[in-house]
Amino acid sequence: MKYAFYPGCAVHSSSKEYGDSCKAVSKVLDIELVEIPDWNCCGAIDAIYSYKPLYSVALDARNLSLAERMKMDVVTLCSACYYTLSRTNQLLRDDSGLKNRVEEALSSAGLNYNGDVKVRHFLEVLLSDVSLEKIGEKVKIPLTTLNVASYYGCFLVRPPDLTNFDDPEHPTRLDELVETLGASKVEYYGKIRCCGASLAMTDEEVMLELSKSILLNAKNAGANCMITACPLCHFNLDAKQKDIESKFDLKIDLPILHFTQLIGLAFGIEPKELGLHRNCVSPKKILPQYAGSVA
Amino acid sequence: MNNMQREKGKHSEGMKLVASLTSKRARSSFVKEVMKMRGGENILDCIQCGLCAGSCPTRFAMDYSPMQIIKMVHLGMKEKVLSSSTIWVCSTCYTCYTRCPRAINLTSLMMSLRNRAIQENFVVKTGVKPKFHKSFFEIVNKYGRLHEPELLTRILKKSDLGSLFHNAALGWRLWRKGKLQIRAPKIEQSSDLSHILEKTSEEGS
Repeated sequence: MKYAFYPGCAVHSSSKEYGDSCKAVSKVLDIELVEIPDWNCCGAIDAIYSYKPLYSVALDARNLSLAERMKMDVVTLCSACYYTLSRTNQLLRDDSGLKNRVEEALSSAGLNYNGDVKVRHFLEVLLSDVSLEKIGEKVKIPLTTLNVASYYGCFLVRPPDLTNFDDPEHPTRLDELVETLGASKVEYYGKIRCCGASLAMTDEEVMLELSKSILLNAKNAGANCMITACPLCHFNLDAKQKDIESKFDLKIDLPILHFTQLIGLAFGIEPKELGLHRNCVSPKKILPQYAGSVA
Repeated sequence: MNNMQREKGKHSEGMKLVASLTSKRARSSFVKEVMKMRGGENILDCIQCGLCAGSCPTRFAMDYSPMQIIKMVHLGMKEKVLSSSTIWVCSTCYTCYTRCPRAINLTSLMMSLRNRAIQENFVVKTGVKPKFHKSFFEIVNKYGRLHEPELLTRILKKSDLGSLFHNAALGWRLWRKGKLQIRAPKIEQSSDLSHILEKTSEEGS
């Protein structure tokens, strides 16, 4: 299985361990991810789109154009990139006026996009192209001590006409993965509530409030860790958990893992290879057997 | 409207808004403008059920609820809509659109309204948002990818010591984990982006 890999900016900077654990897990599952050469920022939801919509779509179409030459589906780890790239495809399909202008812009850079690239999230690839059954076969260490709250966030499930991946109100596919790995799933309110990622730099107070509710609900429902499928959600819930604790005078201390790190642990991959030493909230207490090699 | 009435709360607030409406022609022209925006096409289908307002995770930080914004568009209240905090506090989570029984893509409309507010220089109550979008664009157009530290230093208020200290602490936390990208990333064909910008520049702003 071979895919055109779109890492996105966060996986190359603040979420390196997400990319590392994805690579480690892919190796076990015989998935080959070929990075799209010279990819650029997707425009990040509305970050550029609100300022220059046409430029934003054309900028993103450059990525799709580079991927089209590779003749493979595009796979990304980031839910925000997944949404943005999918939206670009949708806009170009539905709006012929926009398509003409984007084509013109691309051709000025010597590029061309026919609209034939399929954009997929790595989680969906694992579930559809690999299957839970095959993932289950590779489990060496069932994660029986973990009570995992799956956090879906926004763009894995919404807008449903774009993602079409799971039930937008009651998604279950991450939870199914959790159970396949031998861990227990935790039901809690907030698994599809927004963490506030797009507000992290501009309205941090609002973002802290949103992320706080998600963390507290999961913790109160009995979770001893949480998994995410997006580097932006992970950043808010993990790297900013300390800020949430100090702002609201709380002790949360809930380790947040990328779902690829959870799979890797069950596969028996060394924590260092999964980048677990880079998680801000230490997962040491849930992984006593690895106390020396996680942060 | 006298001061007594103004203090009565929501109802008189609503009356005040209605009173601030401009001429009938201006009203209908704003609705038409919005109907041409992405997300605004079927805005007249809204039945004011309030599902968007009840579902919105950032409603608590908005001056008007998403449902109110739609009604205000119906009433032609352009100034109020484009200077509301709502259009900026929307986290673009798509819950409203997912649940809307009339399939109004309110999330997409919020993005379009932001764009219009930036183009027409409306004052933003919540501070740095337009600057954020502009800086994000400039950084990506320069390097091809985002350089987070540069974005943050551009939008931080240098006079806000608390915020500077708080972000320095976060930076230190990330640095220790090897997650802080000091050097800006740069794609090889960044000239592609200059071409794209040139060809798309007539969109305004």
